[in-house]
Amino acid sequence: MTNAVLRTDNLRVEYRARELGQPVKVAVKGLTFQVHAGEVFGFLGPNGAGKTTTMNVLLGFVRPAAGAAYLFEVDVRQPIARQRLGYLPELTYYYKFLNAEELLRFYGRTFGIPAAELERRIDAVLRVVDLEAARKRLIKTYSKGMQQRAGLAQALINNPDLLILDEPTSGLDPVGRMKVREIIHRLKGEGKTIFFSSHELGEVETVCDRVAVLNQGELQVEGRVADLAAQYQCNLEQIFLKVIGYPAAA
Amino acid sequence: MPSPLLVLALLLTICFSLAETLTLWRPTWGGRAAQSDSLLGVLLGDGRRLFANHFFVKADVYFHSGYYPSVFDAAAQPPTQHIAEDAGAARATDEPGHAAGAKEEDEDYLGPPKDWIDRFSRHFYPSRHTHLDQPGEAREILPWLRIAADLDPQRVETYTVAAFWLRSRLGKVDQAEQLLREGWRANPDSYEILFELGRVFLENRHDPARARNVWELALRKWQAQEGAKSKPNEFAREQIAGHLAVLEEREGHPERAIDYLEIVKRSSPNPAAVQKQIDDLKAAIHATRP
Amino acid sequence: MRNAWAISQVVIKELYRRKDFYVLFVLTALLTLLMWSVNFFNDDKIARYLKEICLLLIWISALVIAIGTTARQIPAERENRTIFPLLAKPVSRSEFVVGKFLGCWLACGIALLVFYLFFAVISGAREQRWPWLSYFQAAWLQWQMLGVVVALVLLGSLVFTAPSSNATICFVSVMGILLLGRHLNTVALQLAEPSRSVIYAIYFAIPHLELFDVRDLLVHDWGLIPWTIWLLATLYGAAYTAFFLVAACVVFRRASLC
Repeated sequence: MTNAVLRTDNLRVEYRARELGQPVKVAVKGLTFQVHAGEVFGFLGPNGAGKTTTMNVLLGFVRPAAGAAYLFEVDVRQPIARQRLGYLPELTYYYKFLNAEELLRFYGRTFGIPAAELERRIDAVLRVVDLEAARKRLIKTYSKGMQQRAGLAQALINNPDLLILDEPTSGLDPVGRMKVREIIHRLKGEGKTIFFSSHELGEVETVCDRVAVLNQGELQVEGRVADLAAQYQCNLEQIFLKVIGYPAAA
Repeated sequence: MPSPLLVLALLLTICFSLAETLTLWRPTWGGRAAQSDSLLGVLLGDGRRLFANHFFVKADVYFHSGYYPSVFDAAAQPPTQHIAEDAGAARATDEPGHAAGAKEEDEDYLGPPKDWIDRFSRHFYPSRHTHLDQPGEAREILPWLRIAADLDPQRVETYTVAAFWLRSRLGKVDQAEQLLREGWRANPDSYEILFELGRVFLENRHDPARARNVWELALRKWQAQEGAKSKPNEFAREQIAGHLAVLEEREGHPERAIDYLEIVKRSSPNPAAVQKQIDDLKAAIHATRP
Repeated sequence: MRNAWAISQVVIKELYRRKDFYVLFVLTALLTLLMWSVNFFNDDKIARYLKEICLLLIWISALVIAIGTTARQIPAERENRTIFPLLAKPVSRSEFVVGKFLGCWLACGIALLVFYLFFAVISGAREQRWPWLSYFQAAWLQWQMLGVVVALVLLGSLVFTAPSSNATICFVSVMGILLLGRHLNTVALQLAEPSRSVIYAIYFAIPHLELFDVRDLLVHDWGLIPWTIWLLATLYGAAYTAFFLVAACVVFRRASLC
């Protein structure tokens, strides 16, 4: 038995075309990889590579056509697989008629956290993401940065063992990006497993233990950042361009 | 480039002038709705008559405490509007097979349940034939009759039916008379309204002289309107003449009573009985004047 | 059930933080009070027309709240992408659907409570009596009917893409059943085959929402419905509600969210 917190096994995801007679589009082909406990794993690829589709399968939003995916060795199709999971979507939209406190209380209840413990966690999480002052304000009054932090708060409310972050620094200013990096480092220090996708390869290189690069639905390369750098004799950005087949600069 | 304020002022002037001109033309091409002095007339036009009929039927529905056939049931068997019958505004139907004893069953439009859903559903809507017979209950039909009268002032039946219930079951004689006068203003040639007004004078005001005057006027109105028709409303004439006959007999004018009874006999479904009354009166005259 | 209950509470919060309910209640109250102010032949004891108008407005408002609130629940979650962080929690799709149903249905119940309290005040002020059990039966049956409607609209929101078309189709269907449902058998018997069989099949298949419309009994003081019949009607409504809910769960479980 592996200590894989997250793994996929020959995963295949297909989308039917809207027009009749058009072939099925294969978004993910035979994807097999693992994420071990305690590591920060970067999931990379150009736009349309299949990263978000893979995440959607892991989160139970989409059914695979073949293969399987597991969280904590529980099939992702079971809701209980997400009990120890925290998810931050790329686009953070939450119920505009709720305030941050109510939102966290709602999500916290879905994990079955006892009321007293939940109140304590709400206070702690709002402190971590620096939203204490705005906790009673409706989310519709929040700026983009505040909404992103509210999103991070809801991803942390259940003190998850695994965090799935979809482009966590997308749309943030440098200060916001720094804060997210700090939170990722802290969580790593607490022994959490973090699985995230990002286009900020410089960030990935400094934060991640291992990375995988996806292109056109297929896994191109997977391994420790240091090992890949030694193998390809270049930085992560150049490795990325090389494995996806981008012509080298003159 | 002219000043915006100047342009605004010019446009306002044009709008005002056009409005003044169009207002003068409006009544000629707006039809009756534009000439109407009633808000409902302007809003609904001639469609208000449909609404008026609906609300008159609504009063009948209320009279039956909600027990009433739908349009689908009515298509098979037209309902009898009791409120109109009881008010004397309509004659009870005398279709073949519609004997008095069978009246209740024939009016039970529901019949036996057609299926289990039908049987079950009868617990959830009025499914027994009832009337508003308790003292004062009839007040519940008044709002619909009032609205029907406002929507269609030319519907005479609304005034006569409402006045009947106001004066005879609710003790509101003043309101009944006021309503009839309002109906008379809208329908100055209506013998039905005059007849009902006469009943108010005699039965409630105990003023036989005024009742006589009004009923005689009613009879003249009837003659003017119905006399030349191939199928005149003989029931109405029968009622007016019959009441005049009773009034004259009570007032000690048997000869006049006989004249009116002769009118009644012409259209009575039971002329023999009327003739007997005439004979009795003639005998009484001969007895007092040998 | 814990998750469904949590989701339902969010739906109820949404209802009382939006303006729809308040607008409809104020409109109902204003129109009723306007009709109250009208003088019919100097008789201030006339009550039934007022009760009928008030109940008609309550029924219309309740249907607007039920259909309007429910039709936008799931489409709005998808459009606003709030469905993703929610279903990324240990919440099953069935719990999500049941939670939405519970929230919309309970919200309708709260709205009905307020409306019927207003109705009780209005009719009691005229009639000087308060048949509370009759009010309770009428309100309860209407609430059961709204349960069927909410479940139907929820299913529709998973089948039709646009909330507006779902709301329109459901509103027309519900109004059709309320107005014509009772009479379909009468119509069927007047037709020749095969139309008769088709209409009769529809008659037996549709949920007879008009069973729950006891306004005439309330307006004309017909007294209480037998409690066993009332209970059977409740079970009838619950059966159709469960049917539509299960169908919605099945449809949603197979749906791809992306």
